[in-house]
Amino acid sequence: MKKTKEATLANGQSRTDKIIGFITAHKIWFIILAIAAAILLPVIVTSSYYRAIFIKTLIYALLASSLNAINGYSGQFNIGHAGFYCIGAYTYAIIATRWGVNFFVMLPVAGIAAGLAGYIISLPTLRLKGMYLAMVTMGAGEVIRLIAISWRSVTKGNNGISAIPAPSIFGYKLSSLLNYYYIILVLLIIMLFLTYRVINSRIGRAWMSIREDQNASAFLGVEIKRYKSNNFVYGAFWAGIAGCFAAAFFQYIQPELFNFTRSTEILSMVILGGQGTLVGPLLGAFTVSFLTEVLRFSDQFRLIIYAILIILMMWFRPQGLVGAKHSVLAKRLEIKKHKTPAEKKVTR
Amino acid sequence: MYIVEQLINGLCQGGIYALIAIGFTLVFGITGLVTFCYGEIVMMGAYGSYFVFQWVGLNVPLAMLGAFLFSAFIGFFVYKICYERFLAVPHQISLLCTIGMSTLLTNLAQLVFGLETKSMPMLMAGMNIQIGEIRITYLQILIIGVVVLLCLFLSWFLNKTRIGAALRSVKQDRVATELLGIDSSRVMMIGNCIGSALGGIAGILYCISYMSISPTLGTSVGRIGFSAAVLGGLVNIPWAAAGGVIIGILENLSIIWIPASFRSGIAYVFLIIVLIFLPQGIASRKKRTKL
Amino acid sequence: MSILLEAKQVSKFFGGVKAVNQVDMQIEKGEIFGIIGPNGAGKTTFFNVISGLYTPTSGDIWFKGEKITGLIPEQVAKMGMARTFQNIRLFVNMSVADNIKIGFHTRTKTNFADAFVHSRRYKDDEKFATQKSLELLEEVGLSEYSQYQAGKLAYGTQRKVEIVRALALNPEILLLDEPAAGMNPAETESLMCFVKELNQSGYTVAVIEHDMKFIMNLCDRIMVLDHGTKIAEGLPEEIKDDQNVIEAYFGSKAVI
Repeated sequence: MKKTKEATLANGQSRTDKIIGFITAHKIWFIILAIAAAILLPVIVTSSYYRAIFIKTLIYALLASSLNAINGYSGQFNIGHAGFYCIGAYTYAIIATRWGVNFFVMLPVAGIAAGLAGYIISLPTLRLKGMYLAMVTMGAGEVIRLIAISWRSVTKGNNGISAIPAPSIFGYKLSSLLNYYYIILVLLIIMLFLTYRVINSRIGRAWMSIREDQNASAFLGVEIKRYKSNNFVYGAFWAGIAGCFAAAFFQYIQPELFNFTRSTEILSMVILGGQGTLVGPLLGAFTVSFLTEVLRFSDQFRLIIYAILIILMMWFRPQGLVGAKHSVLAKRLEIKKHKTPAEKKVTR
Repeated sequence: MYIVEQLINGLCQGGIYALIAIGFTLVFGITGLVTFCYGEIVMMGAYGSYFVFQWVGLNVPLAMLGAFLFSAFIGFFVYKICYERFLAVPHQISLLCTIGMSTLLTNLAQLVFGLETKSMPMLMAGMNIQIGEIRITYLQILIIGVVVLLCLFLSWFLNKTRIGAALRSVKQDRVATELLGIDSSRVMMIGNCIGSALGGIAGILYCISYMSISPTLGTSVGRIGFSAAVLGGLVNIPWAAAGGVIIGILENLSIIWIPASFRSGIAYVFLIIVLIFLPQGIASRKKRTKL
Repeated sequence: MSILLEAKQVSKFFGGVKAVNQVDMQIEKGEIFGIIGPNGAGKTTFFNVISGLYTPTSGDIWFKGEKITGLIPEQVAKMGMARTFQNIRLFVNMSVADNIKIGFHTRTKTNFADAFVHSRRYKDDEKFATQKSLELLEEVGLSEYSQYQAGKLAYGTQRKVEIVRALALNPEILLLDEPAAGMNPAETESLMCFVKELNQSGYTVAVIEHDMKFIMNLCDRIMVLDHGTKIAEGLPEEIKDDQNVIEAYFGSKAVI
C-alpha cells in the first residue's frame, strides 16, 4: 500500500490518516503481532464456548476475504457467495461420508469444485453489471441451494448430511477445538498471503483496473472477460475451502445453512469492514461475529442491525471502515471523473 | 380441462406478476432508481391491507387503498434513505443501500408482524362462472380486472399528464429537465412512490389469491418481478408485463413436470435465459456507449 | 510510404442514424494525421470503430497489413494501437505510476502460479513494469508526479499522463481524441510540442481536434468529416481554403 501524495499540498491529514500511515509504515510488525496474538488466543482463553466462537469467526474471516477478492478487487457485484460455500461444504461432506477420503486431500478438491461453479456462473455474467449481475449471482446462490434440497439421492435434501468425519492425518484424528482452530488459522493465513501476492502482481492490477474503469482498461489490452472470470474463480475457490472446513467442523450440514441470509451476512462483513483491502474483511468478520454473539437472542434484531450498518456505511463511508479509500468504491464527489452532463458537448 | 384451468390460473397469477414487474420497471427503468427491495415494498403493501381487514372487516376497496397508501409510504421512506442522497453518485451505492433496506424491511416485518404465516380472508368463496367445462372464479376475474385497470391508469399517467412526461424526461436528461424548471428529485420521488403503490396492490392481490401472508414473501416476489422486467430490458412496461404473464403461466403449467420444490427456481431460469439471449431485453435500441 | 492504418468504406449506422458513412482513410507510417469536422460529424464514432469498440456496419479496417475488422479493443491494443479519450480516462484514484504500470499488461506474462511463488518471471515482470514506467515518465519530464494521485493533477498534466500510459503499450499508432479539449492556450501549446516530440520519436499519430491552430500546426495531412461523410482530405493549406469545409463549418453564405 503506497502512500499517495496529494498534488494540492494539503496540510490537513486527518488523525485517522496519520494512524493508518503509521501502521502502514510498520506493517511487518503489526502483522507479526497479529499472528502471535492469534496463535496465543486459544491458549489463553480455554473456554470451549469461546474457542468455538473464535473458530466460527475465522471461518467467516475466510469467507469475507474470499468475497472481497471478487467485490473489492475487481468490483464485480457478487451477492450469492453462500453458494460457493455450499458447494465446498457438500463436496467434502458427500465424498468423505461415502468414501472416507482424507480431509486434507479434499481441501483442494472442494476448492476446485467451488471454483468450477464460479467459472460456470461467471460465464453469463461477463457482460452484465450492477443490478443484473447482483440478481444473477443471487439467483445462482439460490439455485445451488435448491439443488442441494432437491437432489435427495446425493445430498439427502433438507435432512442434510451428518456424521461428517473430522480432519485426520496419518490416522491421527484432529478433532479437538484447538486442532480445528489452528487448521482454520493456517488456512486463513495462507489465503491472505497468497492473495497479497496476487494483488501485487499483474493480475491484481488488471483486476483493479477493471474495477476503476473497465472500458479504459480494455483499451490498454487487459482481457476483460478473462480477468473477470478468473477473479470469480479465485474468490469461489477460497469460499469452497471455507466450506470444506466448515463441514468438517460442524460435522452436520443442511441446505438452510447456505441461504441468501448467509450471503447477506458475508456481504455485510465486507461492506462494514472494508472492500478492496486485505484487512477490511477481517475487521468486518470480527465485528459481525461479535455482534452475532451479543445479539444472539434475536435473529431478526441481529439482521436489522446488519442492515442498518450497511445503510450507515453507504451514507458515511461507502468503502467500509478500512476499505480502499483511493478507489471507485468510495464515492468520490470532489473529483469529477467525467464531465457533468451540462459540460458534455451537445451532439446534433 | 385441467390444463385449461391451470392456464387460467397461470394467467391470473401472471397478471399479478405483471403488475409487480410493471411497478418495478416504473421505479427502476423509468425513474432510474436501482432497487433491490421492491419485493419488500410489495410485502408491506400486503400487510397494509391485512391490517385493514383485521380492523375494518372484509372491505376490499378499503384494503386496496390501505395497501396502496402503505406501500407508497414505505416507498417514500426508501427514497429518503436510499436515493435522495445518492442521486449524483455511482449507482452501486444506492444498490447496496437497497440491499440493506431489503433485509431491514423483511426482518422488521418479522419482528413487528410476527414470523408466522397468517391467513388472509377468503373472498367470494365458491362464486364462479362456468363456461362449458371451465370454471372461472369471481376472484380471478377481480384480480385480472384490477390489473388491467391499473395498467390503463399507468398508461394515462405516463403519457397524458405533465408529471408523467416530466418523469420520462428526467431519466433521459436530468440537467435539461431541471433547466425547464422541474424539480427532478421531487419527480423521481413521485415516480418511485407510484411504482411502490402499484406494488402494494400487487401484494394484496398476491396474498388474496394464496389466502396467506408472510413476511418473507418479499424475496420470492421481488425475484419474479425482476426476472419478468428483464424481458422488457428493465425499461419497457408492456414487455415487463408480458414477462410476468409468461412466468405465471410457466409456473402453473410446470407443476405437471417439475418437483414442487423447484418451482421457485423457474423465475431464475427464465432470468438467466433471457439475459443470455437478450441482454438488453426484447425491444431494445442499441444504446450508444458514449466514450 | 507504407500504409499503417487503413479504413475502406467504413460505415456505422445506429438504427436510422448514419453516424459514419462510407469513409475511406489511409494513414502512413510516421505521419500525424488529423481528423476534423463540426460537432456530431462522427469523428469519435469513427475512432470507436477503428479501435474495436464498435463493429462497423460495413467496410473493413486494416492495421499493419492485417484485417482487424471485428476485433475487440483488447486485441487491437495488443496489436499496437493505443488511444486516448475525449474526457480523460485515467484511473483517477490510483497513482500515476500505477496507471502507467497497467499499460504494460500486454508486455508481461505473470500468471497465478508465478504470482504465488514469486517466480523468476514474476520478478522480471515487476522490475520491467516499474522501471519502464519511471523511464517513460522521465522521458517526458513527469517523473516528479509518479506517486501523485492521478485525479488530483492539473488537467493538462493529466492529459499527458494519459498519453504516456498509452505509450506503455509500445504502440505503433496513437489515436488521440480531442486531446486539447478543455485546455487553456498555454496547456494547448505545451501539448502540441509534446505530440510533435512523440511523432519525432517514431509514433504515428491520428488526432481528432477542434482547435484549428493545433491541427494546422501539427498535422501532415487532414481529413474532414461532416454528418458522417468525408468531405475533404489533403494538406493543411488545401483544407483551409476548401469550399466544402468552409461551408460545413460556417454555412454556404460564409465568405472567408
